[in-house]
Amino acid sequence: MNYVIEAQGLTKRYKRTTAVDNIDLQIPSGRIVGLIGPNGAGKTTALKAILGLANYDGELSVLGKNPSKDRASLMEDVCFIADVAVLPRWIRVWQLIELTENIHPKFSREKCLKYLASTKITMNDKVKQLSKGMVVQLHLAIVMAIDVKLLVLDEPTLGLDILYRKQFYTNLLNDYFDEERTIIITTHQVEEVEHILSDLIFIQDGRIALDCSMEKVQESYAELVVTPDQAAAARELQPLYERELFGRYIFLYENADHEQLKALGELHTPSVADLFVATMSGGTS
Amino acid sequence: MNRLMALVKREFWENKGAFRTTPLVIGGIYIVLCLMFIITFSHFDNEFQSLKELARFIAQQDVDLRSKIMYAITISIIPSLFTLVLAIVVFFYLLGSLFDDRKDRSILFWKSLPASDTLTMASKLLAAMVLAPVIFWIVYVLTHIVIMLIFSVVVLSLGENPWTLLLGLGNPFKGWSMVLLSYLAQSIWALPLYGWLMLVSSFAPRIPLLFAILPPVVIAVLQIWIEFLKTFTLKNNLFGVIGEWFANSPLIMSADDHGDEFAIALGIPLTDTFGHEVTVANMLDRLFSINMLIGLAVAAVFLGAALWLRRRATES
Repeated sequence: MNYVIEAQGLTKRYKRTTAVDNIDLQIPSGRIVGLIGPNGAGKTTALKAILGLANYDGELSVLGKNPSKDRASLMEDVCFIADVAVLPRWIRVWQLIELTENIHPKFSREKCLKYLASTKITMNDKVKQLSKGMVVQLHLAIVMAIDVKLLVLDEPTLGLDILYRKQFYTNLLNDYFDEERTIIITTHQVEEVEHILSDLIFIQDGRIALDCSMEKVQESYAELVVTPDQAAAARELQPLYERELFGRYIFLYENADHEQLKALGELHTPSVADLFVATMSGGTS
Repeated sequence: MNRLMALVKREFWENKGAFRTTPLVIGGIYIVLCLMFIITFSHFDNEFQSLKELARFIAQQDVDLRSKIMYAITISIIPSLFTLVLAIVVFFYLLGSLFDDRKDRSILFWKSLPASDTLTMASKLLAAMVLAPVIFWIVYVLTHIVIMLIFSVVVLSLGENPWTLLLGLGNPFKGWSMVLLSYLAQSIWALPLYGWLMLVSSFAPRIPLLFAILPPVVIAVLQIWIEFLKTFTLKNNLFGVIGEWFANSPLIMSADDHGDEFAIALGIPLTDTFGHEVTVANMLDRLFSINMLIGLAVAAVFLGAALWLRRRATES
C-alpha cells in the first residue's frame, strides 16, 4: 500500500524537552485524520516535521519525499493552513492570487474566484482590513483552488465564531475532499470535526496514545450507562474509564462483549471527546 | 525564473512606499524647488531682467566649462538626494527582509508556497541590488528631464536658445549611464554590508537595528583599545576597514579638486587604492580587485549563515 505519510522513529528534541518521542505513523491516501492531543503534546511539532518546517531525527517520508530536504518541491503537493493569522497583513487579495498563481503550478484562479464570489471579500481588500473569519475564508479559497494531495490544517478555526467554523468544514467536505486527497486536522474543538474524520490519532507527551479508524472506534469501544446498583457489576468487566453523571455511572470499554454489556444498561458509541479523556487520563476521573 | 520574478514583484508590492513613493517624493521636491526658484525671481523682478542677464552671462562663458558644469549637475547635484535616500531605503529594507515575516508569523504562509529559501533570499537580494536602484534611477532621469524642460521654457521666454544654453551641453546620456552604472557597481561593492544586514535580519530576535550596529562598534572599540594598550598608536581596526571601504565606494559621492580644476568623484578621494574619477574603468577596477574578492567572500559567509538560519526560522 502506498502511504501519504510514513514515519518511523520520528523524534524531535529541543534543548530540554522531547516534543515528539519515537513515533511510528502510516497514513494512507483518501483519509481525513484528526490529530488530537492536549496542549504541548507535540501535535504542532509533528506537523512541522511533516511540512519540512523543522528538523527531526528518524525516518519520515511525505508523498515519497524527504520534507527536511525537499520542502520547496514537496509544497507543490501539500498545502497547509497554520491557524488564522498567517496571511501577510499588507497584501491585497488580487496580489495574493497573482502571486500564488505564479508560484504554484497547481493553482486554479478560476476556482479561487468562484469560492471568493460566495464571500464578501473583494479583490482590492487588504488582508489587514478583513475580519478574522474573512481571512480564513480567503486562505481556504486559495488552498481549495490548489490541486494538492495532502492538506494540513493546524487549528484552522481557532478564534472563529460558530457560523464560520461550520461553514469552513462544510466547504472542505463538499467542495474539496475526495478519495485522492488526504487531510490532517489538529483542533481543540473535537466535537466539530468528529463526524467528518475517518481516522483518529491521539498524541500524549510526544507519543501516540491511540491510532485507529473511526469504524474501528465504533467496533471496539463502547460506552455503558448504568444505575448505581449495577455499577459494581460493570466495574467487574474492566472498563477503561469510569465517571459519574447525574447519579448514574458511565463506563468506557475496549473490546468488551456487547451482549454482556447490554444486560447491565444503555449502550452507546462513545464520542471522540470522551474517548480522548479516557485515553489521556487512563483511569477514574 | 517565473517564480523568482513573482517573488521580486512581491517585494515591490510590500515595499511600494519605500521603493516607488519615496523617489517620486524626492523628484517632486526637486521640481517644486525649481519652480519656487523661478517664481521667486519673477516676484522680485517682473521682466526677468536679472535672470536674463544671468542667462546672457552664462552664454558668454567658455563652452567646455559650461559643459563640465552641466555634466557635474547631471551626475552629482541632481542624483545626490536620490543616492542618499536610496542607501537609507536599502539599508532598512534588508534589515527587515528576513525579520518582519518572522515577527508577524506570515513566514508560515511564505513557507507553504513551493519556493525554496534560497530563491526567497535571492529575490530579496535582487530587490535591494537591482529593483530599488533602477526605480530610483528612472525617477532621477525623469526629474532631470522635467527640470531641463522647465528651464528651457524659461530660457526661451528670455529670448535665448535653450539648446546652446542647456540641452546641448554636458551629454546627459553619458551622465545618466554613469549614475546607473555607479548604482549597480555599488550594489556589488556593498555586498558584504548587504550580507551582514540579511544575516542580522535572519538572526535578531528583536530590534535588528541594534544587532546590526552594536557588534561592529564593540569590536572596533575593543580593537582600538587593545591596539592602543600595545603600541600607543591608532591604526588598522574595523572602523578603519569600514571607512576605507566607504571611501573606495564606486558611488558618485563627492568632488575631487586638482588645484584650480575640480571634478566629481567616486567615493571620497582620501585613499589612492583606486582612481576616483567618474569613469567605467575606475568602477570596474574596484569590482575586479582583491578588496572586492575579500568582500565577496565575507558576503558569502554572511549570506550562507542567513540562509542557514532562515531554514530553521520555523523551528520553535
